Amino acid sequence: MANWTTASKRMLSEVMSAETWLPTEMPEYAQGFMYMLGSLTASSFVVLVLSGILLAMNGPDSWSYNSAMRFIAAVHFWGVQAFFFFMMLHLWRVFFTGAWRGGRGLTWLLGAIAFLIAIPTAFTGFLINGDLYSEWNIVQAKDGLNAMGLGWVNLANSGQMFGMHVVVLPLLLTIVIALHITRVRTKSVVPPYPNVKVKGQTEKGGSAS
Amino acid sequence: MNPRDDVVKNYRMVPEDFVKHLFSTLAIVIVVVLLASILFNLPEKQPLTIKGYSTAHPVQFEEVVLRALDGQGQIANYGPPYNHGTGNVESFLQQWAGILHPINAAQDFVIKPLKMAESLNPTIAPALKTFEHASKAQQALWEANYTKALQHATYKNGIVVAPPGNYGPLPILLNDALALGKSGLYSGALIRNPKVITRFDNQNYVLFLQGTPLQTDPATQSMAGPNWGIIHPAINGYPGAWWMTIPTWIYQWPFVANSSASDALALSIGFLFWLALALTPWIPGWNRLPRYLGVHRLIWREFYKNQPVDTPPAAVEEGGREHAS
Repeated sequence: MANWTTASKRMLSEVMSAETWLPTEMPEYAQGFMYMLGSLTASSFVVLVLSGILLAMNGPDSWSYNSAMRFIAAVHFWGVQAFFFFMMLHLWRVFFTGAWRGGRGLTWLLGAIAFLIAIPTAFTGFLINGDLYSEWNIVQAKDGLNAMGLGWVNLANSGQMFGMHVVVLPLLLTIVIALHITRVRTKSVVPPYPNVKVKGQTEKGGSAS
Repeated sequence: MNPRDDVVKNYRMVPEDFVKHLFSTLAIVIVVVLLASILFNLPEKQPLTIKGYSTAHPVQFEEVVLRALDGQGQIANYGPPYNHGTGNVESFLQQWAGILHPINAAQDFVIKPLKMAESLNPTIAPALKTFEHASKAQQALWEANYTKALQHATYKNGIVVAPPGNYGPLPILLNDALALGKSGLYSGALIRNPKVITRFDNQNYVLFLQGTPLQTDPATQSMAGPNWGIIHPAINGYPGAWWMTIPTWIYQWPFVANSSASDALALSIGFLFWLALALTPWIPGWNRLPRYLGVHRLIWREFYKNQPVDTPPAAVEEGGREHAS
């Protein structure tokens, strides 16, 4: 078996290298708006974390009696809309470009896991807001969790939901996003499909691969 | 070429200011989010409170209290994780998880709040004593009679008045509950936990309202399951949780919608959808679909412009060996 220390050293050297994180050149195909979508998603997450810290510092109901906190809550609300909007566009882009090719399956899987964790992360935020939307979704969604044997997650327990939304889920999400981005940086973005005709397409020349 | 890779390797690297790229995307998001916040603020809608509901619908409020008392309410007969009921049991997993947040609806939703109000309202104690000392059969008879009577009841001078009948102490108790509801104190009585001073757990408050009060509230109708539920916001015109469109769509499938285990089915099928997404790289056929769809030709339009269209795969790989980054 390979030397674990050597393998870890090699991996860490790559992951912790400035060359990995601060590239000065990119592949010619990875240009334009389509290649901003992942960064736009990550940027939305940064905005969510920053506005979320301000909300956590002041309490989840501070929007209801303080106009400045109401504005921060609005930033947090639109931040989550931006996060999912860019994430969805990013998902379409990586799907249509077959981004799992060339040994990038794990990158894709980590992205899919991030999407899955993002759903309850956002949902628990809606629940601790305390308005009609919170109230309605607590009573509606509890049946699904209870049915799946996940009744320990008590949506009507604001303390539990606060902990889930502010600590547990964002921490998990941060870790998975960090792993996803690390994979993107170390494996680079997927190169295009070979420019050859495939069955069902009408481009000139080439042969099916 | 190796079909597993299926990638070109003869591409150039071009100069990039990655830090500028990251700050640019951050600036774009900050501007968009700030603009949306300034222009549209927050889509907050006033929640349904016990005070609001009991004031607006006193007779229906007494019906809700009576259903909690006689065990006919949704939570009273729900099942795990609240109690041993059977009304809302969808899977063995639910049974297996057991009772984690116990609720005795009659006690927790009605009797205990009324006992707390005894010191404020002396009419409660004797009526409650009469009710608690009556036999189960007697209680059930009063409850059945008063359930029918409430259908013809009216609200006069601050109390609900039913046609005369054999209801025992129920009219007094339910009007006392109504007074407690209208005062705004009912919610606090529902979530009281004498062991702690904090009030993190709103379970009994929210679940008290989860049946008729919330289900018939005009403000919740656009968010109801058959209307594609959660993806709709509480205030029209704002975005909701639209990323839940697929599970919400599954809830609309007739065999799911008509099932007594609709939540378990919808979530399980939704998870399979996610699994198909997550395992895309390893699902034969599905993992080659994008190549056949051809959308990548639009995305990499500029790249393909400069690429020889008919490069044989072997040559692509050879070229790649020379120019691969």
